[in-house]
Amino acid sequence: MRFFWEVVRRAFRQETTYRLAMWAGLATNLFFGLVRAALLTALLPAGAAVNGMDAAASVTYVALTQAMIAFLRIFGMTDVSKSVYSGQVAMDLLKPTHLYTLWMGRELGKAGFNLWGRGVIFMALFALFHPLVFPGSLGQAGWFLVSLGLSWLVSFSWNFLVNLAAFWTPDARGVARMGFLISGVLSGFYMPLQLMPEWFTRLCYWTPFPSLINTPVEIYLGIVPAGELGVRLGLQLVWFLVLAAASQAVVRLGIRKLVIQGG
Amino acid sequence: MKPILRVRDLEKVFWVNKRRQGILGSALSLVAPQMEKVTAVSQVNFSLEPGEMVGYLGPNGAGKSTTIKILTGLLVPSGGEVEASGFVPWKQRQAYVAHIGAVFGQRTTLWWDLPVIDSFELLQAMYSIPAERFRRNLREFTEMLEMERFINTPVRSLSLGQRMRADLCAALLHEPPLVFLDEPTIGLDVVAKERIRQFIQKIHQERGTTIILTTHDLSDVEKLCSRVLILDQGQLLYDGSLSALSQRFDGRRLLAVTLANPAEQITLEGVEIVSRDGPRVTFSLDGHTHDPAALIQTLLARYPVTDLEVRRPELEVTIRRIYEEKLLQPAGQA
Repeated sequence: MRFFWEVVRRAFRQETTYRLAMWAGLATNLFFGLVRAALLTALLPAGAAVNGMDAAASVTYVALTQAMIAFLRIFGMTDVSKSVYSGQVAMDLLKPTHLYTLWMGRELGKAGFNLWGRGVIFMALFALFHPLVFPGSLGQAGWFLVSLGLSWLVSFSWNFLVNLAAFWTPDARGVARMGFLISGVLSGFYMPLQLMPEWFTRLCYWTPFPSLINTPVEIYLGIVPAGELGVRLGLQLVWFLVLAAASQAVVRLGIRKLVIQGG
Repeated sequence: MKPILRVRDLEKVFWVNKRRQGILGSALSLVAPQMEKVTAVSQVNFSLEPGEMVGYLGPNGAGKSTTIKILTGLLVPSGGEVEASGFVPWKQRQAYVAHIGAVFGQRTTLWWDLPVIDSFELLQAMYSIPAERFRRNLREFTEMLEMERFINTPVRSLSLGQRMRADLCAALLHEPPLVFLDEPTIGLDVVAKERIRQFIQKIHQERGTTIILTTHDLSDVEKLCSRVLILDQGQLLYDGSLSALSQRFDGRRLLAVTLANPAEQITLEGVEIVSRDGPRVTFSLDGHTHDPAALIQTLLARYPVTDLEVRRPELEVTIRRIYEEKLLQPAGQA
């Protein structure tokens, strides 16, 4: 366990090496955040609220999802598949640890850095342009943080699983792009699931994707129907466990197929 | 003593997509691919006693890396048995790798953007090395590999020689009894190579570490290994001592003489002159059929000589002849 936190600490520090990249990413997130906010407010009828979301809530929704891009790596993570193609994965397999745990440590360190740099700082900057809604109570804020933690676990496991395609195909980028397109739509990143037809939302909840983004954001905004909070959090936990177990199984199959390239 | 590594009938077969010629062929390959069987390693047998250091040689594509990957648990073989430190590498990989060390010269296990020491401390946590033992090993290795100057430098700023030394240290901090070194001196200058060789030698002698060394640099092998395994086209051609190898395949000696009189005609019965450059004459003789000492005596009695030198062919040349002229046959077919 100590080893895991040592990996996390190093990954965090390694990330601080790339400060310029952080600011550049932050600027991009901010620009597109403002564009998305403008679009969404233009689409909403003035003064109206759809399924409990008014203009301020919608803008906050945009801000939150933009702030989560780097933290959850919503636009995709290909580090694991790259290490398979470069053969660097061999160095990881020579260590007496699980590949999944090792990568989780690396990604968690990075995520910690991005939660601060491209999450908290982003929200502060965004608030200069648009008034944002805050959680109504301390309890609500607390459950939001729990949910955000769970969504990171789901997100990491999903990203990791998608990356494992690298064991079978010589170029997993197509699989990854497909996976991240699907997760972008079904997680409610592009559009709040609240604003979607009910049958579509219900369909989404049969997948792990609402657990990535929609759940923590709805908890933050306080629009989760009463009594459903526990169900939503439980669902996140279940999806994390399912994806983590699937990753373990797929890794085991993948290693049997593995041909370390080069050298 | 029980061998620390035992390899029996090891075999690894890859299936590769065989391309047909031309556009029509490519189109056909899309729907009906032709798979071709490539045997990377076949019928490899050997075992190592604890404390041995062997050189694992072979031309590019011989199957060296494939073997090393199997032995380190990275690849699953198509057939055969391996027992290393009591484990079957690919079946118990995670437990097994805690008991071995490995350096792949082309790769690094160090964190690119962090100081070298950070990677070492992570390894301490990863292998649960007791603090006291870790400190002692680190101090010793830092001194032996002269790492004080760069141990706090980020890995990306290291020279290749420094990085390789740090990687060697990283592979040995947990004191593995069995170590695989795959091209640990690749791309290094003479001084850096020598430093790494001395370190390997010392670890081997002082700690009794069993080492398998893969390299293309025969001077590594000459200096470090008394036993060599030669692999070509996936088959083990030779397993034995290095001196026996050069004696068997290159009993030739080169005898270079500088004559006092540059114009003098010179002949020795049954010995070929390979070059003549003014007063300097070079003979090539077969050490098995001629006695070099007797020949030199005859020579000195007959001609006034100012300088004389006997050379044995370099190992490099011997090994190249073995590869190119296929001087060795796989053990099973000899």
